[in-house]
Amino acid sequence: MNDNSTLQRVYTVAELTRSIKRTLEGRADFNNLWVKGEIFNLTVHSSGHIYFSLRDNEAVISAVFFRHANRNLAFKLKEGMNILALGSITVYEKRGSYQINVAMVKQEGLGELQKRIEMLKQKLAAEGVFSPDRKRPIPFLPRRLGVATSPTGAAVQDIIKVALRRYPTIEIIIAPAVVQGADAPVSIARAIEELNRPEYRIDCIIAGRGGGSFEDLMPFNEEIVVRAFYNSRVPIISAVGHQIDHPLCDDAADLFAPTPSAAAELAVPVKEDLEGEVEYLAIRASNAVGSLLRELNTRVEGIRSRRIFRDPYEIVNRKEQLLGDMLNQMLSSLKDKVSSGTSRLLSIPDIRMIIKNLINTKKHSYIMALTTMEQLSPMAVLQRGYAIAMDEEGQVIRSVDDSGVDSLIRLLLSDGTLRCRVNSIERGGSDGKEKNS
Amino acid sequence: MEKKKTVKSDAEKTEKINFEKALQQLEEIAEKLEDGDLGLDESINQFEKGMRLAKFCREKLDEAERKIEILQKGADGHVRKKEVDVDDGTGEIKNEDDLQGSLL
Repeated sequence: MNDNSTLQRVYTVAELTRSIKRTLEGRADFNNLWVKGEIFNLTVHSSGHIYFSLRDNEAVISAVFFRHANRNLAFKLKEGMNILALGSITVYEKRGSYQINVAMVKQEGLGELQKRIEMLKQKLAAEGVFSPDRKRPIPFLPRRLGVATSPTGAAVQDIIKVALRRYPTIEIIIAPAVVQGADAPVSIARAIEELNRPEYRIDCIIAGRGGGSFEDLMPFNEEIVVRAFYNSRVPIISAVGHQIDHPLCDDAADLFAPTPSAAAELAVPVKEDLEGEVEYLAIRASNAVGSLLRELNTRVEGIRSRRIFRDPYEIVNRKEQLLGDMLNQMLSSLKDKVSSGTSRLLSIPDIRMIIKNLINTKKHSYIMALTTMEQLSPMAVLQRGYAIAMDEEGQVIRSVDDSGVDSLIRLLLSDGTLRCRVNSIERGGSDGKEKNS
Repeated sequence: MEKKKTVKSDAEKTEKINFEKALQQLEEIAEKLEDGDLGLDESINQFEKGMRLAKFCREKLDEAERKIEILQKGADGHVRKKEVDVDDGTGEIKNEDDLQGSLL
């Protein structure tokens, strides 16, 4: 039994690992050390723990960033990001691996890839490629959907499945593309271009792929692909599976979704819902018109059932009666008028009487005057026996001096004239004897 | 086509709008009718328009005919469409041959 094993100590794996662990973890300078490197293979576990590797050109070290430590991290870790990590080296016995247990992280600057993407982003942004203003609405009801992705991946299946479930009669045109590796950018760009050809009459395009590592998704950060999204004349949805970082194509697309399935949901409406909505609205319109017609009908019936329509003669009768009433009223009012007019007329003094009286009075006066005149007339005097003496010339002789003896005079009697010759003249009163020749 | 330009039927006018607009108009009409502020004639007009829109919407919904096609590049370099059979449940393309030849 002279074998080396007796001279040298034989470790069990556990003993050795524990020894390594003690050595590494016990070294003061491996505790709370700073290390710088580029992040790759970044995984954010659902538990909140973050796993990644740090690398530079020559070496790689695993890193674990537990949830309690990364909770207050001010920025998101990104693939390709250069960081300074503060941590301690720990050994994970079960895997025989060592890693740095990160306590905190500082951003050291962007990794090469990240830097390239950032530069491209700035350049395209300056051109307006990501401008929100140019985003077009996704058609509400695409009849034909274009899909640019790998024909063999889960993405195309997810899109088809979701689209058909939602809209069983949709038409889908798939433009196969390589979505990973060096050929991917040109292939994706061509597929998008192809789907834009007018003869396909595509209403909406979904372009993308399922989730993958940062490197897997790199084609969707390439300028040619981003521009293909931007230049698509058909509204386009970016559907690149991702958890943390948006690929640049998301910003150039009209709309983006975190997975291909989600993109299909955004693009394709649920047919049954739309059919239901159309029916619902049609029924609402019908019901509204129906109730309007019923209401109008009720109103018409209400009016029709009034007595006037049930017994149309009623209106004639009533009018007749009304007419009769009115006539009566008119007549009686006319009568009233007439009688009041008459009484007014009667109340005026009888003009005929007045006139008659006037005439009588005048007549009387006339007769009186006439009588007076008759009485004053010389003829009347003559009739009483007087005579008027006149000379030859017809001059009344008032004095004996007006005549002479032998002069001819005329004596006017009431019934004629006596021609006489004056025999003598005697002075004295009128009782003197008249001398005849 | 030329002569139709002079007299445009409602159907042709409807054709100018898309499904979404038609649905929106239908909704507006339903609301207007429900408000009951319209006269009988206008109500009937609007109702008829609504029914035309509903018909248009139903037609639009049924316009597409389920078809899944894959674009393939032939030997002559021309791209052609080829209909593929797809499993509804999984969305899986059934015939493996259909997957040959990407656009690249």
